[in-house]
Amino acid sequence: MRQLLDRQIVDSVGRLVGKVDDVEFAVGDDGVAYVHALLSGPGVLGARVGGRAGRMLVLAAERFVTDRPMAPVRIPFALVERMDSAVRLRVPAEDLPASPVEEWLRRHVIARIPGAGRASG
Amino acid sequence: MRRLLAGTLGILSAVGGFVDIGDLVAASQAGARFGMAHAWVLLLGVVGICAYAEMAGRIAAVSGRAVFDLVRERLGARVALLNLLASYLVTVLTLAAELGGVALALRLATGVPYLVWVPVAGLAVWLVLWRMRFQLMERVFGLAGLALVVFAVALWWLPTDWAELGRGVLRPGDGGQGWGAYWFVAVALFASTVSPYEVFFFSSGAVEERWSAADLAAARSGVLIGFPVGGFLALALIATATVVLHPAGVSVTSLDQVATPVVVAFGAVGLAVAAIGFFAVTFGAALETGLSAAYAAAQYFGWQWGKRVRPREAARFHTVLLVSVLLGVLVLLTTVDPVTLTEYMLVVSAVVLPLTYLPILVVANDRTYLGDRVNGRWLNLLGAVFLLVIVAASVAAVPLAITTGLGR
Repeated sequence: MRQLLDRQIVDSVGRLVGKVDDVEFAVGDDGVAYVHALLSGPGVLGARVGGRAGRMLVLAAERFVTDRPMAPVRIPFALVERMDSAVRLRVPAEDLPASPVEEWLRRHVIARIPGAGRASG
Repeated sequence: MRRLLAGTLGILSAVGGFVDIGDLVAASQAGARFGMAHAWVLLLGVVGICAYAEMAGRIAAVSGRAVFDLVRERLGARVALLNLLASYLVTVLTLAAELGGVALALRLATGVPYLVWVPVAGLAVWLVLWRMRFQLMERVFGLAGLALVVFAVALWWLPTDWAELGRGVLRPGDGGQGWGAYWFVAVALFASTVSPYEVFFFSSGAVEERWSAADLAAARSGVLIGFPVGGFLALALIATATVVLHPAGVSVTSLDQVATPVVVAFGAVGLAVAAIGFFAVTFGAALETGLSAAYAAAQYFGWQWGKRVRPREAARFHTVLLVSVLLGVLVLLTTVDPVTLTEYMLVVSAVVLPLTYLPILVVANDRTYLGDRVNGRWLNLLGAVFLLVIVAASVAAVPLAITTGLGR
């Protein structure tokens, strides 16, 4: 569990997806709890951090979404290929739900600046 | 041959990355007020930053992860968030001070008021970050920053009493200004030497340039030669200020005064070379602090970051970058004096130093990331002793600043 929380999540081609901000448990037929999904997003992170800092984080992030409370990006644990210094997924980032804040900023800010489609290297 | 060239360029960028507006102001002030009495602080700072930059570079090369990417895993989400907030504020404050330095250097070269140059400098910094290749950016400004060698040359040109300088190094005194002011200047100079953003940038830059374990030797020589050469430039600033400004009883409150020694030695040509040097080191540091602020945020939250991906695929990273540069410009447009801003920035930097350096020492001893390339016993001893110095500086910074009224 401690090995999992706060780890970097990396997709199948090395892109950074987010951190493991929280995890979701399920209980199997044998009554033993297991990690069912990884959760990533400022909503769950803020809730876990708690206090004023956590609340401010949630409020700041919720400015970018319409449906509140904001849902985290949910990654089924079955998509995890292996874990070393990061949690590596067996799928590319396109196959996962996108972060709403990233989407909003891309659409309204960054993609509007000339040259946004070309890496400077 | 190509490796040798790359190594040399790595050293150059370390030199350029070391000296910034903080060093220009703090070193000059130290020399003008206390002569050579703070030379030991530079030596201490250079040894410390070499040790910690080597650790940060090794962590990046072996694990492929920037140090602050790992801070959250080691310290937990809550502590790391507070660390991020403090580091971000200090880095943006530093960015503002560097932008102010760029504007002052341009004023020195053109005579046009610096406030006119502030938005221009902000836009130029952002454009370079948006479009210029990472390595090119590092090398251009690192190389141009070497123009500051003019201060060392001036020292030979001026009628310098070398024996007197040496005595000043070996027998530090408070110069009749009080030990409170002496220690305040020592803390400010120390903070300028080991600025937190230097290691932020160094470790993230190593990941951007895709260092691997094979690059460790080159990285080490870059650190062990580049930072001491940067320290030598800062020492030259102290020494020229000691020779020219100290006897005249001038206290440095502007960038013009920092340039005075080379103007005395070489006239208008000296001023032009100094202005180029000032411009290059402050502009280079503005780029580094801007990136560092965005690196810190992106690495805490796990966002895609860096200059190697298309900006539209790292929208959050580039938004933080843009906002940070804007904040820096806004701070300056309040018409706060850039030199005063630098003095405050150094005090705040000193306070947060442990937040940057402690995690490096922790991660550099973690076998899950570094395997058998963890710190050796001697490096740990050096790191621990240096950490004590950092904590002392951090604790002393605010009381010294208040009791001495920023050292005055």
